[in-house]
Amino acid sequence: MGIPITYTEQELVLALKERNDQAFGFLYDNYAGALYSIIKQIITDNAELASDVLQEVFINIWRKIETYDQTKGRLFTWMLNIARNASIDTLRSKSYQNSQKNQELPDNVYKGVANQSVQLNVDNIGLKKVLEKLRPEHRVLVELAYFKGFTHEEIAEMMAIPLGTVKTRIRNALLQLREYLQ
Amino acid sequence: MNLQEYIASGIIESYVMGLASESERAEFEQLCTQYPELVAARRDFEERLEEYTSEHAVAPPPAVKVKVLAAIGDQQDPHPARSSNPPKIITMENSKSPVRSSAGLRFIAAASVILLVGMAWLYYQSNSQNKELSNTNDRLKEKLNSTDSILNQIVEEQKIVKDPNTTVVNMVGTQVAPHSSANIYWDSTSTSVFLVVKNMPKLPTDQQYQLWALIADKEGKAQPKDLGVFDATDEKVILKMKNTQKAQAFAITIEKKGGSHSPTLQKMQSLGKTLQSQ
Repeated sequence: MGIPITYTEQELVLALKERNDQAFGFLYDNYAGALYSIIKQIITDNAELASDVLQEVFINIWRKIETYDQTKGRLFTWMLNIARNASIDTLRSKSYQNSQKNQELPDNVYKGVANQSVQLNVDNIGLKKVLEKLRPEHRVLVELAYFKGFTHEEIAEMMAIPLGTVKTRIRNALLQLREYLQ
Repeated sequence: MNLQEYIASGIIESYVMGLASESERAEFEQLCTQYPELVAARRDFEERLEEYTSEHAVAPPPAVKVKVLAAIGDQQDPHPARSSNPPKIITMENSKSPVRSSAGLRFIAAASVILLVGMAWLYYQSNSQNKELSNTNDRLKEKLNSTDSILNQIVEEQKIVKDPNTTVVNMVGTQVAPHSSANIYWDSTSTSVFLVVKNMPKLPTDQQYQLWALIADKEGKAQPKDLGVFDATDEKVILKMKNTQKAQAFAITIEKKGGSHSPTLQKMQSLGKTLQSQ
């Protein structure tokens, strides 16, 4: 049993940039759960794949720590975006898309509605729980933009609403989200 | 610009959550360098987001940490002060390429040995086959030569036998050797004399048969003329003897090896008279 070490964010970043693996262990212990949560909110149906993504994310954090710029945001924000991007990349990969097709074909015929309600329950963790408090027309836009990784342009086309409206609604939704995070 | 309006537009949340466009990001980062209040507002949202997300953390499987630490342990740079990336790349290439090239070399070496052995075997195979063929060829040539010579003799014999000018003299055994018999083929135009032994006993090695032509002189006395020696082993093969123009009779005697100047008539084995004797 070693003496528990705590770091300020400043110290932690410096230690990580010096390739201190004790600092990296601290980073993992403190942030793996939060990052795993966001990964699971994006990759909702495959825990094994989600843990693979988490592994990939931490290896990338270790590799790319040199490129982290403190003036642009907190370390957690930087890591959260790495986790989100990696999850969306996985979601859009061909192998994932194919595995989805294979899984869904037999189920959809009978369990369409049931499946949806089950998925909703599974989804209700972390940020998605806050999303429930938003108006539905706002919620769906945040869902598509943040958790599915669609661009504002793609969403405008999909939902057949002007790009300006998409932008405004997402901004308003995020402002509400901020209030709920209090 | 009105900072409060800018903050209230939702740009901070959009930026922090990664939903701002490229130009929005650039503008926001630029403004952050000018307005500490903007940075403070950003930090406020970042902290709220971090806090909320941490409160709703989901414990990952413990195996992930083991795998992550193992992966970064492999990449660990022993000299943290230096740039970590280039040595890593070199290490990976160094550890990969010798394996690949030595595997390749090993394959090539194995292939060459197999090829060499194969070629040696083929060479040995074709060489011994070649030798065998040439030996067979030699044996066949010998056989052909002897067969050819036998055939030539037979053809010669046939020619002489069938020639209308050839006189056949049947020589019969004398009282000393009643079973001895031979044929003389005598071509009176060419004066050639051929002998075919029919039955002549084998002689001791120091003795040979000798053929004589008996030619009458003016007083009617028979004078012997040597026509050459032969062995009993030449049985059934036609023998060319010395030529004679005249002969009232042919006689075969046993003489010492190489023949005599005058026949030992006590040992006359066979005698045949010709038409000239009448």
